[in-house]
Amino acid sequence: MPSAKSTARSLCGLAVLLLTCAASGPAHAAADADQVAQLQTRLEESLKAIDQLTARVRELEARMDAVQPGGTAAVAGAGGAPGAAPAAPTGAAPPATSAPGAAPEQRLTSLENEVAAITAANAARHEDMGLPLHGFADVGAGTRNPVNPNLHGAAVGSVDFYLTPQLGAHTRSLFELNFKIGTNGDLVTALERAQLGYQFGDAATVWLGRFHTPYGYYNTAFHHGQQISTALRRPGVVQFETTGGVLPAHAVGLWLQGSSRLDLGRVTYDAYVANAPRIVGGVLDSNNAGNAHGDALYGGNFGYLPGGSLDGLRFGVSAFGTKVQDDLVVRNLTRVNNYGVYAVYDTDRWENIAEYYWFDNKDLSGATGSHNSDMGFIQLAYRAGLWTPYARYEHSDLDQTDHYFSAQRFGNSYYRTALGVRYDLDWSSALKLEIAQTHVTDRNIDTYEEALMQYAIRF
Amino acid sequence: MRATTTHGYARFTACFLLLLGVLTGGESLSATDVLQQLPRQWLDDQGRTLDLAAFSGRRVYFTMAYASCRRICPMTIARLQELQREADRNGESAEFVIVGYDPTEDDPGTWQQYRRNRGLDRDNWHFLSGTAGNTEQFARRLGFPFWKYDRHVMHEYRIVVVDEHGQLAAEYTAASAQTHVWAASDSPQKNSSQAE
Repeated sequence: MPSAKSTARSLCGLAVLLLTCAASGPAHAAADADQVAQLQTRLEESLKAIDQLTARVRELEARMDAVQPGGTAAVAGAGGAPGAAPAAPTGAAPPATSAPGAAPEQRLTSLENEVAAITAANAARHEDMGLPLHGFADVGAGTRNPVNPNLHGAAVGSVDFYLTPQLGAHTRSLFELNFKIGTNGDLVTALERAQLGYQFGDAATVWLGRFHTPYGYYNTAFHHGQQISTALRRPGVVQFETTGGVLPAHAVGLWLQGSSRLDLGRVTYDAYVANAPRIVGGVLDSNNAGNAHGDALYGGNFGYLPGGSLDGLRFGVSAFGTKVQDDLVVRNLTRVNNYGVYAVYDTDRWENIAEYYWFDNKDLSGATGSHNSDMGFIQLAYRAGLWTPYARYEHSDLDQTDHYFSAQRFGNSYYRTALGVRYDLDWSSALKLEIAQTHVTDRNIDTYEEALMQYAIRF
Repeated sequence: MRATTTHGYARFTACFLLLLGVLTGGESLSATDVLQQLPRQWLDDQGRTLDLAAFSGRRVYFTMAYASCRRICPMTIARLQELQREADRNGESAEFVIVGYDPTEDDPGTWQQYRRNRGLDRDNWHFLSGTAGNTEQFARRLGFPFWKYDRHVMHEYRIVVVDEHGQLAAEYTAASAQTHVWAASDSPQKNSSQAE
């Protein structure tokens, strides 16, 4: 069955043919009255064709609206509410002034008004272009695996699918499905993010589902698509749970985010409540299906962007608190209190990021008392066209008598210096090189060097 | 009678061409009157309403950008500045129109600050914000594919030139070091997909 658009185009062709036939008749220079009469006849015929075409367009629009009941009402940004009447009439019969007996001037005016209305409705229509599916992928090689230094050679990073089904004017959705190779070489499939939300306005959007925990800056600025980040890998202190991180990078719960303009800049805020995580097999788990004890993770983030001559500067604070239980033979319960500060200077030339976190944890199940630890990183990157060299320093000093860290596989302390460069092969592909030296300062004390390469794309 | 009929015939022709553009869904622009087939109502960086039809009869360089873009957009703006200098040397006038990809983030105030920070203060440069629908339609009709990844907008390097007669005249993409000059049979969407 031909598509609505191809049918419309066929009718267009017919109208063009009619118009051509009408216009190509021989013009006699004889009497002016004869010529005028001829032109008038042609105009009448063409107007009839246009009337038929317009009726056909309305019929097609009515069919499309029947298939997509929210289509014409979901005028993004135009304040269309669900169920609101469409901006332009659909399926309506041509107005009476198009009747053959009406004067040509009147019919032309009516036709102009109808075309303007159709154009406006067409411009406001949010056309259904199908479900947009995009994603990222990365592969690499090096003297060591970037997340498991005991492995060497080439490695598959991940393939990350990103979907944002278009819903209504205010409803939002986001899904990020990731296939990655874990630290042991096994394929790990994770629904990294699954968020459904409602946008009240610029000042507030509420999400429910699995999201990136909004602490610091890096964890919500960069997600699983490696192509968008400058550096070859995430700083170790903000790595994901399964690839070396000790912070709950993902949370399942309710998240309110927003921003507001002030006279002097802009503020951003996040507030969330989520399932308290747990430690399973030495790795933090976000309890995607809920938890048995009902404990929660509470947190917030407040950022400030001065703007003006300080455009690109952002700084802020974050904090979260929760109780985390591990799965050791003798189970431990720890009250985790985390406080963070961050500063970012992101301009056309520089991408400089610094984050610092401090833990004030308390052993709730044993007698080890309170423990303080800290960690952070600083990254400096210089944008020079297709080339972006960067340098990074990472540091963590984690109290190994704190069960929260001792129970985690990646809970050791370390510091690392890295130098790297990103080269944009094109705007969808980036090649990254990095050399680094890492010092593990507790548990299995070690020092090792790495030379790494990564090819990252988006699609 | 004769003058009235001729005038009516001209109005009919304009109407018909506009209807033709509507019926084709804008997926491929007709060879003429590009400005008439784009969403016309926008806000400039001063918060004033701007109708693209105001640029009829002028050469217009179109591109799309977002204010927090740090890779592609600075290079696009730099190229537009080169084109402006070239036009100045040749004594030519043109309009430079930058349409924002992200109307929720890049409102007139954001563009105002963007211009100030980069010294883009010429009167013939226009930074526009529209509705989400108009933005998508504009992007589709001139061949600027994009998608949003949280606060990032994934897009390509592209500049489209519309000449004084309202016809698509040229494009600049990352794939071609030189300008691609339109043939009559080209469409912006076909060339955009090739550039990707």
